[in-house]
Amino acid sequence: MRGTFAYHRPSDLDGALELMDELGGQALPLAGGTDLMVEMREGKYRGYHLVDISRLPELKLLELQDGEIHLGAGLTFTEISGSELLRLHAPALVQAASQIGSLQIRNVATLGGNVVHCSPCADSVPGLLVQDARAILRSLGGTREVPLQEILVGPYKSGIQAGELLTCFCLRSASGMWGAFHKLARRSSLAIARLSLAVLTRQGEEGLSDVRIALGSGTPVPRRMVEAEEFLLGKAPREKDLWEAGRVLASKMVEVTGKRPSTVYKEKAAQGLLVQAMLPLVRHGN
Amino acid sequence: MGTELEWISRSVPRIGALERLRGMPIFGADIQLEDCLVLRVFRSHRPHAKIMELDVEEARKLRGVEGVFTARDIPGKNLMGLITKDQPLLAQDRVRFVGDPVALVAARDEESAQRGLEAIRVRYQELPSIFSPEEALAEGAVAIHDKGNLLHRRVVRKGDAASAMERAAVVVERTYRTPHIEHTYLEPDAGVGYREWDGTLVILASTQNPHYDQKEVAGLLGLQEEKVRVIQAATGGGFGSKLDLTVQGFIGLALYHLGRPVRLVFTREEAYLATPKRHPLTIWMRTGADSKGKLLALQARIVCDTGAYSSYGVAVATRAAIHATGPYEVENVEVESLAVYTNNPIAGAMRGFGVPQVAFAHESQMDLLAQELGMDPLQIRLRNAFQEGSSTATGQKLGSSVGILECLEALEPHYREAVSSWKGSGGSRYLRRGVGLGAMWYGIGNTGVQNPSTARVELDDDGRVTLYIGAADMGQGSTTVLAQIAAQVLGMQPERLRLVVADTARTSNAGASSASRQTYISGNAVLEACAKLAQVLLTEASDMLRAPKHTLLLKGEGVADSTDPQRSVSFMELAQRARKKNIPLSWQGYFDPETTPLDPETGQGIPYATYAFACQMAQVEVDVLTGRVRVRRVAAAHDVGRAVHPEAVKGQILGGVAMGLGFALMEEFVPGSTVSMKDYHIPTAADMPEVVPIIVEAPEPTGPFGAKGVGEPALIPTAPAILNAIADALGERIYQLPANLERVLEACIRAGHFPSMEVK
Repeated sequence: MRGTFAYHRPSDLDGALELMDELGGQALPLAGGTDLMVEMREGKYRGYHLVDISRLPELKLLELQDGEIHLGAGLTFTEISGSELLRLHAPALVQAASQIGSLQIRNVATLGGNVVHCSPCADSVPGLLVQDARAILRSLGGTREVPLQEILVGPYKSGIQAGELLTCFCLRSASGMWGAFHKLARRSSLAIARLSLAVLTRQGEEGLSDVRIALGSGTPVPRRMVEAEEFLLGKAPREKDLWEAGRVLASKMVEVTGKRPSTVYKEKAAQGLLVQAMLPLVRHGN
Repeated sequence: MGTELEWISRSVPRIGALERLRGMPIFGADIQLEDCLVLRVFRSHRPHAKIMELDVEEARKLRGVEGVFTARDIPGKNLMGLITKDQPLLAQDRVRFVGDPVALVAARDEESAQRGLEAIRVRYQELPSIFSPEEALAEGAVAIHDKGNLLHRRVVRKGDAASAMERAAVVVERTYRTPHIEHTYLEPDAGVGYREWDGTLVILASTQNPHYDQKEVAGLLGLQEEKVRVIQAATGGGFGSKLDLTVQGFIGLALYHLGRPVRLVFTREEAYLATPKRHPLTIWMRTGADSKGKLLALQARIVCDTGAYSSYGVAVATRAAIHATGPYEVENVEVESLAVYTNNPIAGAMRGFGVPQVAFAHESQMDLLAQELGMDPLQIRLRNAFQEGSSTATGQKLGSSVGILECLEALEPHYREAVSSWKGSGGSRYLRRGVGLGAMWYGIGNTGVQNPSTARVELDDDGRVTLYIGAADMGQGSTTVLAQIAAQVLGMQPERLRLVVADTARTSNAGASSASRQTYISGNAVLEACAKLAQVLLTEASDMLRAPKHTLLLKGEGVADSTDPQRSVSFMELAQRARKKNIPLSWQGYFDPETTPLDPETGQGIPYATYAFACQMAQVEVDVLTGRVRVRRVAAAHDVGRAVHPEAVKGQILGGVAMGLGFALMEEFVPGSTVSMKDYHIPTAADMPEVVPIIVEAPEPTGPFGAKGVGEPALIPTAPAILNAIADALGERIYQLPANLERVLEACIRAGHFPSMEVK
């Protein structure tokens, strides 16, 4: 049941950072609230201070700057999936954004919230990882810029420190690259991923260059699957190459996660998912 | 009586739709009473334990807590149950499942109630817990109830199955398993109550069965029935779960002691934890046919996990046994069905009472037989389907209204088209298409027992007609259908009827809204009441108009001479005239379907007066890389006797397909693990296929205007059709529900569609 809590709504980012500093560990940034509200309803965070950052204009940044996309942490998934700019520069992320939760959830849930919750099955994270995303963390003390993977410390455990706010992501533009995001779930909408996979790659005469693959829900936190990337690099993949890449990916997943009851399914499904995601890259006649 | 059917087979506006659209406070959780206390239930965290000590004194002393009640505070008999009384309202020295109620807190607000719950102390002594019927039936297993762990054994035996099986050209033998299913009605259980000036306890609650609630609450409190009044609040779905008491007993107990208004609203989590589930069944089935596909014999052993208390366990085990043949004539049958207590959640009624589970088995068996014989799945069904004069497993000769062949024939063009053109026209190596059929039959009403309904109609001096019906409408639309029947008989518009529904002080018992029985049984009660009134009106009008009765017509709240429509007399005039002559204008209707009890040894008898029939076809695509199944299209042919309200019938079919799709592919309640809708998946709109409802009408002579029922039948064929379609797509079959990602991918691998590479 709901406990008591304090609510603050700073009018700008500086105000928010001051509150975050003042409240320290008692502060809980509230953006879309789609995770937070569920946990509060379960009785967590009684007596905490909610700092409502959902209306801060600074967190709604969306621009292309020197070949990098700057993406405010407060953007909702509806805003992301509807963005023409992102469609060109972050195709896998846009696909992921359109598959999160339901329309109602996408209308309020934010990119930053999805990341800081650090769920193993956060759908947006693989899409960010394949773009070598860096997170911008602001506090009264200054600004930290860290690779996204470093924030993902463990399941539901982020590396963000007390007083810090995640404000923005910087992504390498994926303009001209081929991207895909595939999600496996128990139903078509409003479902948590059993597995998800984001792929970005460049196709050329010399085969695939710059292969980036990230897996969600298969490891304690979503991660890049470097071994599978390297396996495919330089190949004009035939179907059997994809199966082999899938095997490499699955075996790394099992190595990282260990054998669990769910592994029986996931080690097969991970292969299948990779084949399914990358099948359009197989040229006819191969 | 009206000569043509003006109000039957017509989709009139749904009664109650407006209140819902306007968001009026008609549901239990929305009803505001002044100075209303909040109730919360303290529940067991142990699956099986003795209560050594229960201390509620601290909780009682808390500020804001107005009362804490335990079994000791129950003034009447602390036992309840729809068929077998074995469940205490509050635990009496022992808890039998996680969620078993132990104490009740009444407080001024939610926070105080929560503090009250937290202050309750219980010392348990663990007892061995049993989580499967196999363990429960094992020798030396701890007895969950004094009489042992076997709640019920039902045998249905006809002919000589064992020797017929030896003559069979093909025999298939398999075991099927289904999981716990949670109804997941939209509205979690809720209710309020207050004490009337004369001491009557009034309970407004979400329910499918107000008259049962009244009886049960009165029994718990040791009160006369008329001292408890239950009024059905608007009910947002039930699907069988709201047949048992949910909030009513607790509200009654608090009212009894405190006399102040109280409310109890379950959270979704509490509804999941505390209310009955669909029974998990294990079904071993052996079916034999001759070389032409004619069924010769069927043997089955069915084990139903009924959980901690019996609820509708007896009915589920019985229905499962009776319906195990499917809608097919089988001369030699031998079925044993057991309902077994465990320390799992209570399993009770859920849309279909065990028939959806056995349909999964018998329909899989039909396809397996067809496959062995190289027959078409539709052909083998056509060959065996019941016809007029067929004899069922219980030895009942089916009279008329046997619409299964018509359903199969109605589906045939859809099926042929799907198999010959759709299946081959799309899909790919990794996306395999399949087409499957699922057929069913379903007995309308309770099994082999009296289950009458009553209704009353009354004409006032001002010419207004009031219909009193006890039947609870939980969204399925019984009120609309019953009003249509009355309107038809009385020749008036249904919206002109005054309706009094599901209020124990004002309406008489109509029995439960379950077993797809209200249209057929209450429909007949309404029909009879209205026909009696119509006769009075015609007699009076005949006098007044000086015209023979057979030329008279009830029309527009009056009676007119059909030979000269100018000559007519209004209901008001007729009422006043009848009143002067002391002729009653309030008439009761009664209907009880003709059944006979089943023989305890052989299960022979006439369990139901009539049956609904159906067949559905599912077209699926299986993604063999991931195990994902998409159902693309379902064509659903249902023999409902007569569709009184065709759109409502279609609505039932669409909802049934959704529920059946969930049962087939994703729903699974895991006791101890499933908490709420966050970890229990029901289909969303995005999972729904195109559904083509086909209404088949094989009129039932004893039904109101030929009607039977459709509520449960709508769901039953869907899962079998989907599972058969998956088997068709893969050439490999799944025997355990749900056919989730894991099981489907495993089947893909077994079938060789997934060129799997081992991971080292």
